Amino acid sequence: MREIVKITIALTISCLVAGTVMGGVFMFTAKAKLQSEAMLRQQTLLGLLGYGDNHPAPADLKLSHVYRYILSDDTGIRSGYLVLVLNGSQIQHEFLIVDRDGGFVNRHPVTIPPEKAATESDRNAAIQHVLGQAVTIRYADDMIIASQNDIRTAYVLLGKFPGFKTFIHAMVALNSGFGILGMEITAHEEDPGLGGEIEKDFFKNQFRDRSLEVVKGLTVTKDPLPDDYRFYLEPQKWEDRQIDEADAAALKEKYQAADIHAISGATISSRCVTDGVRQLVKNFSYRIQILDRVMSEKQIHAAF
Amino acid sequence: MPKTTKSNTQLVVSGLLNENPIFRLALSMCPAVGLTTTVMNGLLLGVAVLFVQVFSSCTISLIRNHIHPRIRIPTYTLTIATWVTVIDLLLAAFVPVAYKAMGIFVRLIVAFAIITMRLEVFACKNDLVPSFWDGVGMGLGFLFGMTLLGGVREILGMGSFLGYDLLGFRPLLFFVLPAAGFFTVGFMMAIFNYVETVYNRRKKERMA
Repeated sequence: MREIVKITIALTISCLVAGTVMGGVFMFTAKAKLQSEAMLRQQTLLGLLGYGDNHPAPADLKLSHVYRYILSDDTGIRSGYLVLVLNGSQIQHEFLIVDRDGGFVNRHPVTIPPEKAATESDRNAAIQHVLGQAVTIRYADDMIIASQNDIRTAYVLLGKFPGFKTFIHAMVALNSGFGILGMEITAHEEDPGLGGEIEKDFFKNQFRDRSLEVVKGLTVTKDPLPDDYRFYLEPQKWEDRQIDEADAAALKEKYQAADIHAISGATISSRCVTDGVRQLVKNFSYRIQILDRVMSEKQIHAAF
Repeated sequence: MPKTTKSNTQLVVSGLLNENPIFRLALSMCPAVGLTTTVMNGLLLGVAVLFVQVFSSCTISLIRNHIHPRIRIPTYTLTIATWVTVIDLLLAAFVPVAYKAMGIFVRLIVAFAIITMRLEVFACKNDLVPSFWDGVGMGLGFLFGMTLLGGVREILGMGSFLGYDLLGFRPLLFFVLPAAGFFTVGFMMAIFNYVETVYNRRKKERMA
């Protein structure tokens, strides 16, 4: 009996020490990790818009976030958008509330410094403060509007959707006509080697260059990926099969309305991504139109 | 095994050669077979194991008199898991690019037989300094083995080295497939054994 007690105490102490060490290191690194993640996300974002080391982003490129919220209280569910607006010559945050049919409900100025708006907890607190405690707010997603000289050049959607195992987080870049510029999987927990292939070029690049109409009806096929399409999708991997520009344009034309070719062994993951991206783009194109209409009706000048 | 009588240099050399984790002790064969398709994989995993081995060996040799003998294996596992988590968190925070490449491997290290075995056989019976050098030797031996396997498999399977195209064609694609891991390890072991036999014979002849 004494032995059991001794063993229990020894194990408890070991676990406590190990837990303290791990917890300490976690606290010490949490901030740096967030920073490096934010940096990687920014890199991915610029990469999707076509900017990189060889082709830096222009200085007048402006990336404005629109944070979407779901509001619920006794009267029902509404959506809210935290946007940057121009008030005279001043740029400030404003929270616009829209009902389910797209009608304008209310607008509230929100005072929050721009660098704090990027942190979810600070942002939630600021919005909650403005709306009062009677309304329950839930952060839904983040859309980024890229503009140059007050002309919108692209949109980047950050979204998550259910995968085969847990949620898949993705970043989708759209051109001003809502056609897909590129897609990047930012986080997932699919099986390595099977569903994990969704982050490979041959799969994710299939979403490139598809118009809104095509995306709305996008489905998955189990047919094998044709060789010419594979060489087009993975130019870095098949350097010996370089495709010249004329051929690339022809291939782009040929496959722009084709189905997404599923990853063999991971049809469910492929379907999840396709459905997720379709839903993301479809919902965004609807929401941004509502937001634009509301803002022009109410003479709200967006800062993007 | 009683307290070691080897010098520090001998400990490192024995970890690298005559007690090499992969080719002599045949421990941690899963990563040796499964992950050594390229030099880079082998190198990154080897470096990570080196650190975990050294830190865990030092920790266990420091607290070895306080470990209850009936729960020593759970304590080893806990120690290894703590160090793996610490390294994982530090990499994620400060070297995000390397973490992206090797993050998934780092977490696997908890289950590597070689580390637990070295703690049980060596670190829990020896002082801090020999345990440190034993950890370094074993870690380097593992690193050496993994890089060698990765190099052979990458050159033969993909015709490249560290990602740079070396031969311009793929001599034996078979070598990047998992099954070839066994063959490569087997051949390497044979070479190791052969070299050792020859070395010992010559040593004997010289003595005679």
